[in-house]
Amino acid sequence: MIDGYKRLMNLEQPPAPKKAKGFFTDTSLCIGCKACEVACKQWNQLPADGFAITGNSYDNTGHLGATTWRHVQFIEQAKANGSRQEQRWLMMSDVCKHCANAACLEACPTGALVRTEFDTVYVQQDICNGCGFCVPACPFGVIDRVPKESTFEVGTAHKCTLCYDRLKDDMTPACAKSCPTASIQFGDVEELQRRARERLGELKARGESTARLYGMPEGTEAQEVGPLHAFFLLLDKPETYNLPEVPRLPRKTMAERYGWSAAVGFGFAIVAALVLRGGRQ
Amino acid sequence: MMGQKAPSPSGGGQGGGYYDYPVVRRPVWTWEVPAYFWLGGLGAGAFITASLAQTFGSADDRRIAADGYYIAAAALVPCAPLLIADLGRPDRFHHMLRIFKPLSPMNLGAWTLTALTPFAFARAVSHAADTGLLHGPLRALARLVPRRLVELTGSLLGLTLAGYSGVLLGATNVPLWAKSKLLGGLFMASALSSGSAAVTVQAARGGEPETTLHRLATIESAASLGEMAVLAGYLVQSGKTARPLMNGRYAAPFWLGAVGGGTLLPLVLHGVARRHHGRTLRSLSTVAAVCTIAGSLVLRWSIFEAGKDSSEDQAASFDLSKA
Repeated sequence: MIDGYKRLMNLEQPPAPKKAKGFFTDTSLCIGCKACEVACKQWNQLPADGFAITGNSYDNTGHLGATTWRHVQFIEQAKANGSRQEQRWLMMSDVCKHCANAACLEACPTGALVRTEFDTVYVQQDICNGCGFCVPACPFGVIDRVPKESTFEVGTAHKCTLCYDRLKDDMTPACAKSCPTASIQFGDVEELQRRARERLGELKARGESTARLYGMPEGTEAQEVGPLHAFFLLLDKPETYNLPEVPRLPRKTMAERYGWSAAVGFGFAIVAALVLRGGRQ
Repeated sequence: MMGQKAPSPSGGGQGGGYYDYPVVRRPVWTWEVPAYFWLGGLGAGAFITASLAQTFGSADDRRIAADGYYIAAAALVPCAPLLIADLGRPDRFHHMLRIFKPLSPMNLGAWTLTALTPFAFARAVSHAADTGLLHGPLRALARLVPRRLVELTGSLLGLTLAGYSGVLLGATNVPLWAKSKLLGGLFMASALSSGSAAVTVQAARGGEPETTLHRLATIESAASLGEMAVLAGYLVQSGKTARPLMNGRYAAPFWLGAVGGGTLLPLVLHGVARRHHGRTLRSLSTVAAVCTIAGSLVLRWSIFEAGKDSSEDQAASFDLSKA
């Protein structure tokens, strides 16, 4: 009978889980060529962002969005050192973090956002009804809804799929494939984490004292959203890259919020009952 | 040093972030959402007030407050269309109910609204049968409604509907909505004050016993006082994060509309009305209750819109995510 129901409802067996896949983005190797942005747009057939000049260094992309799934940041730093200035130019290719505890996925009321067999977070375009709850839920400002007057998949939420279609065919995601410096590395999350620790050790030994990893299981940033399956090696504190120190997972405070709500509701009921009883001789 | 403006030490932003780019995305929701929160809260509040009167009130209280079921049913009608209009793909509205996922406040709210609406209608129809609005077989059918069960279940669903909206906004990373944990309680209080105010308006229409009107006004004022207390807590907890609400373009509607005209003024008017009788009492009570109802809308709207601005406040986002 269950089989009959599944046939009737067109329910498929979910694919068997595979090893968790992810990105290790090593910003110390990024040269800001934006090949990842272009490759992502081409493979995923995302429309262009237009030709707005922001005036913020070489960054004319601004931020991640519904049709921008890789974003290269350019951070120009100047520090006075005696009579001369020391310049530093940080570049970082930002992407969806594919959190272990994803706020967008937990917020989604339709089940459009799912965890795939590769442990990545994916929006099913045929399910999403564009309710928009995932948009402010994401602590990183990644996922967004396409405006209703757009020409591309109107009205639904979009973000990096970690090239789910390419993964299905054992291919490397477009951004990692196009990266000429191996700043974006793709692979099994465990292996990438091992590589990241090794690389951090190398950089520290060379005197890069401010280098750090962001999104590792032991990091404070993993307190609520868990380890990030797309994690980073940064050369400065997370805020410099607009990354939150402790990204908040809304679920963590939900019980307390409902608690206050219930307290007010039942408090009102008690007061109202007393007032009404008082009038009943 | 060429006299050239050096880039600031970090990413260029004043607050140490990446230029002045926001950390989180701006919510895409529009006016339909606060309008729905207001109507849904009002309907739920009216249903709860009417049901409390059925259980604890005198015969007069029961008869008069039962008009609240009409208000509840009427207020819930536009809710679903408002929610559907706000979707990016309104044709897929039914996807909300393809799974049951109470962890998502949005899913919980969709189910609660779907469940409460028939209860509110059933109880309104049953009241219509009592007052002689229905005749013949319709009346016999309406008499079959198990009232106590509908009142209890509807009240619990109503508390959920009135209480989840602020939690939904709080369960995001928008600083103004998420910083304080009290937004759910605030919207709950606002729903109950507006819902009981709607019942007060009904009671003030005819030549009803004034004691009933007094009691309804007292209940409404108690909700308003609770709302003031929760609002104070909310603003204190939010601190600097509340800037878009306290001094931004939503400051005037918030202070004058939601706080002054929507809460303090009705409290004063109800106090004054208490010393009068007859027509003066009824008029003052009506004005006070209408102010409460309007203030409830302004409260949701101003916090909703100021929240959207707050999502672009980089410093507030970093403050929310401090270890």
